[in-house]
Amino acid sequence: MTPPPPEAVAAMIRPAPRRPDSRINRDILSVMEGASLGYWVLLASAVLMVHVAGAIWIYQVYEGLGIAGYVHPVFWGVYIVTFVFWVGIAHAGTLISAILYLFRAKWRNAINRSAEAMTVFAVLTAAQFLGIHVGRIWKSYFILPYPNQRALWVNFKSPLLWDTFAISTYATISAVFLYIGMIPDLAIARDRAVGWRKVLYGALALGWQGTSRHWKAHTRSVLHLSGLATPLVLSVHSVVSWDFAMALVPGWHTTIFGPYFVAGAIFSGFAMVLTMMIPVRRIFGLEEYITDYHLENMSRFLLLTSIIVGYAYASEYFMAWYSGVEAEQTSFWMRAFGPYWISTWIMILCNAVFPQILWFKRVRTHVPTLFVLSVLVNVGMWFERYVIIITGLSREYNPSTWGIYTPSWYELGILAGSFAFFSMFFLVFLKLFPVIAIAEMKELAIHEKAHRQGGAH
Amino acid sequence: MRSTRPRRRLLLATLGVAVASGIALGVAGLWGEGAVAAEPLVATSVCEAHALKARKAEDPSLEIEIPPNFDMPWPTRAACLSHEAALDPNTPGPVQPIPFSHKHHAGLYGVDCQYCHSGTDRSPAAGVPAVETCMGCHSLFPPSYDELSGIRTLKEYWERKQSIPWIQIHRLPEYVQFRHNRHLEAGVDCQACHGAVQDMDKVHLVPDTHWWPWLLPTQKLEMGWCINCHRQNGASQDCLTCHY
Amino acid sequence: MPELDRRDFLKLVGVGAGGAAAAGCSDHVEKLIPYVVQPEVITPGMPVFYASTCRECPAACGLHVRTREGRPIKLEGNPDHPVNRGALCGRGQASIGRTYHPDRFRKPQRRGAAGALEDVSWKEATAALAAKIAERPGGTWVLGGATGPSLSDLIDRFVGAVGAGGRLVYEPLSHDALREASRAVFGAAGLPIFDLSGADYVVDLGADCFETWLSPIEHQRQVLEARDLASAEGRAARMVYVGPRLSMTAGNADEWLPAKAGSEGLVALALANVALARRQAAGQPVGGDAGLLAALLAPYTPEKVAEPTGVDAAALRRVGEQLALAKRPVALPPGPGLASSRAVAASAAALILDAVLGAVGRSVGLPPETPATPEPANLAALEALVAAMNAGRVSVLLIHDSNPVYSLPPQLGFRDALAKVGLVVAFASGPDETTELAGLVLPDHTPLESWGDASSRPGVRGVVQPTIRPLFDTQAFGDVLLDTARAMGDAVGAKLPQGSFRGVVEASWGGSFDAVLARGGSFAPAPLRGGAVQAGAAKLAFRVPELVGEGEHALYAPPSPLLYDGRGAALPWLQETPDPVTKISWQSWLELSHASAEALGVEAGDVVAIETPAGRAEAIAFPRGGIRDDVVALAVGQGHSVGLYASHQNDGRPGEARGASAIALLPSVRDEAGGRAWLVSKARITRTGGHARLALMQKSDNKRGRQLGDAVALAALEGDAHASGHAGPHEVRRPFAAAADATDGSAYRWGMTIDVDKCTGCSACTIACSIENNIPTVGEEQVVRSRLMSWLRIERWIGDGTQELRAGRPPYDDHEQLGRIDVRNSPMLCQQCGAAPCEPVCPVLATYHAPEGLNGMIYNRCIGTRYCSNNCPYKVRRFNWFDYAIHNWPDPMPLMLNPDVTVRCQGVMEKCTFCVQRIDLARQTAKNEGRPIADGEVTPACAQTCPSHAIVFGNLRDEGSAAVRTAEAGGVRAYHALHTLNTRPSISYLARVIRDPSSRIDEDGGHAEAGHHANAMTPSQEGTA
Repeated sequence: MTPPPPEAVAAMIRPAPRRPDSRINRDILSVMEGASLGYWVLLASAVLMVHVAGAIWIYQVYEGLGIAGYVHPVFWGVYIVTFVFWVGIAHAGTLISAILYLFRAKWRNAINRSAEAMTVFAVLTAAQFLGIHVGRIWKSYFILPYPNQRALWVNFKSPLLWDTFAISTYATISAVFLYIGMIPDLAIARDRAVGWRKVLYGALALGWQGTSRHWKAHTRSVLHLSGLATPLVLSVHSVVSWDFAMALVPGWHTTIFGPYFVAGAIFSGFAMVLTMMIPVRRIFGLEEYITDYHLENMSRFLLLTSIIVGYAYASEYFMAWYSGVEAEQTSFWMRAFGPYWISTWIMILCNAVFPQILWFKRVRTHVPTLFVLSVLVNVGMWFERYVIIITGLSREYNPSTWGIYTPSWYELGILAGSFAFFSMFFLVFLKLFPVIAIAEMKELAIHEKAHRQGGAH
Repeated sequence: MRSTRPRRRLLLATLGVAVASGIALGVAGLWGEGAVAAEPLVATSVCEAHALKARKAEDPSLEIEIPPNFDMPWPTRAACLSHEAALDPNTPGPVQPIPFSHKHHAGLYGVDCQYCHSGTDRSPAAGVPAVETCMGCHSLFPPSYDELSGIRTLKEYWERKQSIPWIQIHRLPEYVQFRHNRHLEAGVDCQACHGAVQDMDKVHLVPDTHWWPWLLPTQKLEMGWCINCHRQNGASQDCLTCHY
Repeated sequence: MPELDRRDFLKLVGVGAGGAAAAGCSDHVEKLIPYVVQPEVITPGMPVFYASTCRECPAACGLHVRTREGRPIKLEGNPDHPVNRGALCGRGQASIGRTYHPDRFRKPQRRGAAGALEDVSWKEATAALAAKIAERPGGTWVLGGATGPSLSDLIDRFVGAVGAGGRLVYEPLSHDALREASRAVFGAAGLPIFDLSGADYVVDLGADCFETWLSPIEHQRQVLEARDLASAEGRAARMVYVGPRLSMTAGNADEWLPAKAGSEGLVALALANVALARRQAAGQPVGGDAGLLAALLAPYTPEKVAEPTGVDAAALRRVGEQLALAKRPVALPPGPGLASSRAVAASAAALILDAVLGAVGRSVGLPPETPATPEPANLAALEALVAAMNAGRVSVLLIHDSNPVYSLPPQLGFRDALAKVGLVVAFASGPDETTELAGLVLPDHTPLESWGDASSRPGVRGVVQPTIRPLFDTQAFGDVLLDTARAMGDAVGAKLPQGSFRGVVEASWGGSFDAVLARGGSFAPAPLRGGAVQAGAAKLAFRVPELVGEGEHALYAPPSPLLYDGRGAALPWLQETPDPVTKISWQSWLELSHASAEALGVEAGDVVAIETPAGRAEAIAFPRGGIRDDVVALAVGQGHSVGLYASHQNDGRPGEARGASAIALLPSVRDEAGGRAWLVSKARITRTGGHARLALMQKSDNKRGRQLGDAVALAALEGDAHASGHAGPHEVRRPFAAAADATDGSAYRWGMTIDVDKCTGCSACTIACSIENNIPTVGEEQVVRSRLMSWLRIERWIGDGTQELRAGRPPYDDHEQLGRIDVRNSPMLCQQCGAAPCEPVCPVLATYHAPEGLNGMIYNRCIGTRYCSNNCPYKVRRFNWFDYAIHNWPDPMPLMLNPDVTVRCQGVMEKCTFCVQRIDLARQTAKNEGRPIADGEVTPACAQTCPSHAIVFGNLRDEGSAAVRTAEAGGVRAYHALHTLNTRPSISYLARVIRDPSSRIDEDGGHAEAGHHANAMTPSQEGTA
C-alpha cells in the first residue's frame, strides 16, 4: 500500500480560515484545562474497574488458574486472545507516526499524537497478559535470560521468548517516539502553564527554545526514530503471529500468519484510533483540526486492510482444502460450522464484510457510521484471535480429547479490566499532554499559506 | 616561646597523676589476690573439677579442693567443653534437642561417619542414627556421664522410646533427588557438602561461596554449586538426574 | 521375620516421607525424625518388599507390597502366584488406598443415646459385646463376606464356643446359580474352576470373564496368551461373546451374538446341539452319556432357538460347528448380572455345552469335594435370617467384610430388620451404610495391616501379612473374636486357640512360616477334576425368564468393572478412572440403545427416571449402539450415601447419594434353587427434563481414520497385503528408527511397544500409574471440565471411524453397532518423541530432550505457559489447575505418596516420563555393579501390572531387548501414533488384529481365513466411509 505522493496530499489539503498561531495553541491546549464532571466519572469508573480486575487476578494467583474456563485440551484462552488483541491495537500508532511520516503524508499530523499515545498504552496493557496467563507468576522471572546461580539459560527457540523481546523493544521505541515528538508542544504548554504543571512541563521540555538548532535536531531525531520504528511495525506482530505459526496445531501452522497478523493489527489499530478520536474531537470541539478529511483518509486505510484481512481468511480456507490434510480440513470446517461458528461469523462479518461499505464516500465522511463501524471492527478483531486460538486447540489431532472451552466470568472480568486499564491511561493523557501535535499543525498552516500563494514548498 | 611553658607544666602534671594512680591500682590488685587465696575453690561437678585442675596447672599457687565423688576421669574434660560449646546459642547453627558434638565424636575420637550414619553408602538417603545407636555406646558409659544434661536427655528419650526431633541443617528441596550412595561411590567425601563437621561442636551450614563463572555467588547446596562440582568431575548434568 | 520388628516399624514418619508429603514447590524447614530402634530390614531411602495377598475380591491374587520406611506405597502382583503371575487389576492397585483412607474409624465407637457414635475403649467394647452375647444363647449370628480359611475356621469355632445361632457367609456376587448348576449337571455343588490357558475357542455367555467374574486377571492372561499371534494355534484362536450389551469383555471378542438378556442358556444348548451332532459324526468323545445328551439337546436346534434368543440361526450353527472342531473349546456360563429366575438352568446349559465339547477336566474343573471355606449363603438363607431378625430371634448380629445394607435388595427388608436386632456390631474400617445402623463399630484392620490367608482354589493358598503398623486404634476381626470369647469367661476362651490371631494363621501353615511369608503362600494348584453330565440335568427347565414389572426395557445391572459390587466406590482412583466402556467417571449412567433414546426423546446427558417394582431412581442417559433395544443397563456400584468419595461428601454435599444404586432398583427374586437373581425386572424409563454434564473423558470413539488405534485383518498377516487395514507398507514404522533420538554416547533409548491387540481396556495400568506417580484425583466437577490428571489413558476407538462432519455443537458421537465388534483399546501416554513438538516451545527449557531420549519434564522449572500442551498432538500433558496436591490428599493419604516422585504444585505441567524414578533406581544398582542396565530390569508401573502383557518396555538401542523384538515380530502391525506428523515417537503400537468370525474350520481342525469380506468393520472399508 503506497499512500499518495506528498504533492498530491498537499494539493488535497483544503484551505482553512486563517488564524493567528496563538489560536491553535489555545484550542488544543484548552483540552488540557479544567476537567468536567463527566470526565471524572469516566476516570473514576475506569480506575475502579482496574482494581476489580486486579482483585480477580490476585484471587487467581492464590487459588490457581483453574478459576478460568480452561478445559483439556484448550490450554490458552481469553488471556492470550486479549494479549494479541492489544498488541494489534498498538500498531496503528507507529505506522502513523513512523511510516506515514517517512512518506510525508501530512494529514497524519492531526492524529499522530493520539495514535502514538494509544500505542504506548496498548503495549502496556498487552504486557500485563503475559504475566496474567502463566501458571506460576512468582517464578516467571525464569523467562528472562540473565546470568543466574542455577547456571540455567533460556530456550531461544521458543516463540514465547521472542515475544518477550519483541514486546519490550516495541514498548521502548514507541515510548521514546511519543516523548521526542511531544517536546516542542511541551515547551508551548510550559510557557502557558502555571503551578505544578509549569514545573512538570518545564522538566519534560528539556529547555526547548524553538531555536533553529533545536528544530534541526528535533526533525532529524524524529526522522531517524521513524527509520528505526518502521521495521518494528512489521516485525512485532509477525513475531506474535509466530506463537501460533510455529506450532503444530491445525489452523495455526500456516505461513501466511506474518502478513495476515500485521495487516490485522493495522486494521484494528486504525479502528481503535477512530473509536478514540471521534468522541474526543466531538467533545473538545477539535473538528477544525481533526477534519472529516482525516477521518476519510483513515477509513480508506480501514478499507484497504480489511480487504487484506478478508483475503487472508479466504486463503486460509483454501489452503486447508487444498492441502488435503484431513486434520486441517476438519479444523477449519469445525471453525465455520462447529461449536464456535458464532465467533467465526462475527469475525468474518465485522472484519471482511461490513467495512466494504467504505467504498462509498458518503459513508467515509459520515462520522457516526464511521464510529459504529470502528467499534464493530474492534469487536471483530478480538473475535478473530478468539477463533484462531480456541477453535484451533479445541479440534486437534487426537479426537479423543476434543473439548469445548467457554470463558469464565473471572476471565471476562480481567478482559474488561484491560479496557479500563487502557482508557485510564488515555484519559489521564488527555488532560496532561496536548492530544494534537500543535507544532505540526502550525507547520501545516504554514504549508497551506504557501499554497495559497501558489508557491510549491 | 613563652606561650608553651604552661602547656608543658600541664602535661607533666597529668603524667604524674597517671603514674600515681597506676601504682595505687597495682597495689590494690595484689592485695585483692591475697584475699581470694584465703579459702580454696571447691568443685561441684566433674566438669568443674576438670576446669579447676586446668587452672591449677596454669597457676600452681591456686588453692583448689575437689571432693572425691567429683574426682574422676568421666566425663572427660573434652566432653565437658564440647557439651558446653554445643549448647552455646551464640555460635552459628540451631541448638539441637541434644547438644551433640560432632567435633567430639568424629573429630576427637575419630568415629567413622558411617558408624552412626549407617546405610549412607547403600541408600540415597543418609541414615540418621536411631536412638538405639546412641545408646549402644552410651549405655556402657559410667553413670557419672549423666551429669551432662545431653546424656540425661538422651536417656530420657530412650526410656520414653521416643525419637529425637533433630533440626535438619543440610536440606534440599523436595524436588531434588540427591543420592548419597552414588556420591560416596564416586569418592566424594562427606565434608565436600557438609563442611568440616568433625571440627564443629554445633553443626551449621558452612557458607562456602563459589563465584560462578558470571561472577555470581553460589552458596553451598545451591544448584549452581552442585552443577559446578558435577561439571568439574564430569558427572551427569542432565536435569533428570536430580529432578523428577 | 519375627513379629516384633514389624510391630516396631517406624514410630513416626520416616526420613524423606515428609519431603514427599509436602508439595514439591514448598521450601520449609523440616525435622529429621530417626527411628528409636531401626529394624535391620529397613534402610531409609530403600524400598522393602513383602509378599501378601489381595483381598478386594474372592480371586485372591498374590501381592508384592512395596514399602518405604515402613509404609506401603505401591502394590504389585506376586510373580510366583499362579492366579495373577505378577499382574494386578485396577481394583487391586487402588486397594492400597483403603489403609490410608481419610474416612477410617480412628477408634472403636458405640452408638450413644442420642444416636450419634461416641468413642469407647476396646476393653469396654469387648466386655459389652461379651455380655450381650452371653445374655441370650443362640441369639448371636455372624454375617460377613468371604474370608480366608483361618479366619473362617476361627469364626466357626467362635460360633460354636459362644453358642451362637449360626453364621452366614455373604457375598453379593456369589454365583449361586453356577454353584447349583454344577450340582445339577455334575452332582458336585460349588464353583467349578475355569482354566482358559490354551483355549482356542472361548464362548463367553455373558460371564464378562475379563471384568468381575471368577478370576478376571487370570482369564485375561490365559485368553490373550492363547490367542498369541506367534503360533498357528494363536492365530486360529477365537472368542465369541453372547450377551445383550457390548461390555469390556465383549469388546475383546471376535464375534458378538447379541442374544436377548436371559436367553444365554438357550444359545448354549443350541450350540451344544450342533456341536454334539458334529462331534459324534467325527467320532469325538462327548462328556457324558451321548444318548442322554442327544435327548436333552434334541429340542434346541438353532432354528428353534433363534426366535426366543434373537440370534440368527445360521450364526448359531456356524459357531456350533467351529466349536465342535476347535481343539480346546470352552464355554463360560452367564455372570451374576445376567442371573435370572432361570439362572440355574442357564448356567447348567453352559456346563452341558462344556461337557459336550469335552472341556470338562481339561478347561473346566469340578468344584473341590471339600471347599476351603463354607459356601456363601443364597438368597433363601438370607431371607431366613431376615425372618429370624424380624421375629426378634437375633439378639446380636456381627457383620464383617461386607455392607449388606447397601448390597442386599431393599425388598428383602434387611434394613428394617436390623432395627429389631438387640446389638448390631459392624467390623468395618470405614463408614458405610451398615455402620450407620450399627450399635457398636469395632474398626477392623485393613488387609495391609492384618494377618490372614486366602485360598483361590484347591492347592493355592496365599498368606496375608501386615506391612505397616496399624495407623489407628483398630483391631483385627479375628483378635476381637478371641478377646470377646475370653471376656465371656475362661470356659469359653479355652475352646478357642490361645494367643493372637497371628498365632492362628501361623499355626495353620505347617512347616516354616518364614518361608511361607517370603514366598507369599503355598502354590500347588490341584489338577482339574473331570466329570460327566448326570441324568439329573435333564430335569432342568430351560427357558427364557419372565421379568417382573412393566415397561418395554429389561433392566440389566452388570457389576461395574471398577467398582465391583460397590465396595470400590469408596476409593477415589476407582471413581475417577473412566469406565472402560463408556469412559464416564464419578457418575452413574443408564445405557440405552439409540432407538430407545429417540423413542424417549433423550440425548446423552439428559437425566432419566428408572422405575421398577422395587423403586425409582434417576440416572444420566447414555445412548450407545452397543446395546439391545429391549435392554437398558445400569451398572452396579454407585448410589452410596455414606463416605467421602462414595457419596457426594467430597463435593461438599455430605449425605447425598452419588448416582443411582442399581441394587436398590432390583426386586428381591430367587432363581430356581433360591439363589439371588439380578436380571429380574423390567424398567419404565421416563425423561425428567433435567440435564447433567457428563464426566466423560472421551467424547468420541471416531478416530477419523487417523493413526491412533489401527487394526489389521488377520488375512493381511497371512500374506494378503491388500486386506490390511493400513493404507500400505510405507506407513509401517520400525521401532528402532526411534533409537536414533538419543545422544550418540548414550547406551539407552527408552521405548515401549504396546500391543493394541492385547489391550483389553481394563485400566489397571492407569491406576497403577496414578499410585506410583502421586497423581491426584480431581473429583467429579473437575473431570466434567476434562481436567483429569491421569498421565495414561485408554482410548477406545470403534473401527477406523468416519470423516463425516457434523454441524453445530457435536454431541457425544458413538459408532458402535449391535452385533459388531471393532473395538481398539489403545493406551495413550507420553510418546517420548524423538522430535517432540513440546520441547522447542518451552521458553524456560522445563521440558527438554534428555540424553537417553526421554522428554524430561522438570516440574520445579515450569512456569506454566502451557505452550507444550498446546503443541502436543497426543494431548498427554496434564496441568495443575489448582493445588490438587494439597487439597486432594487429606490425612492420612499423604503417607502413601511415593517419596521418589516430586509432588507437583499449582501452576505446573506434568506428564509421564516412563517412571524415570524406576529407571534411575535400576541405574544405581547397575552402576554399583559396574554393568549396563539389563533388559527387563526396568519396568514402568503400567507395564508391570498389565494382566495381558500388552505393554513391553525396554531399551531401543539394544536390538535384543524385548521391546524391539516384540515390535519387529509385529511386522506390518507396527505403527507409530499420528506418525504423519513425524514426531518420531519411542512407542511403537502393534495394530489390533481383526479375526474374521466367519472363518471356517476345515476337517483337520485348523482354521482357514475366508478373507475379511464378511467383517463389515474392516478398516479398509471404514476408512473410505
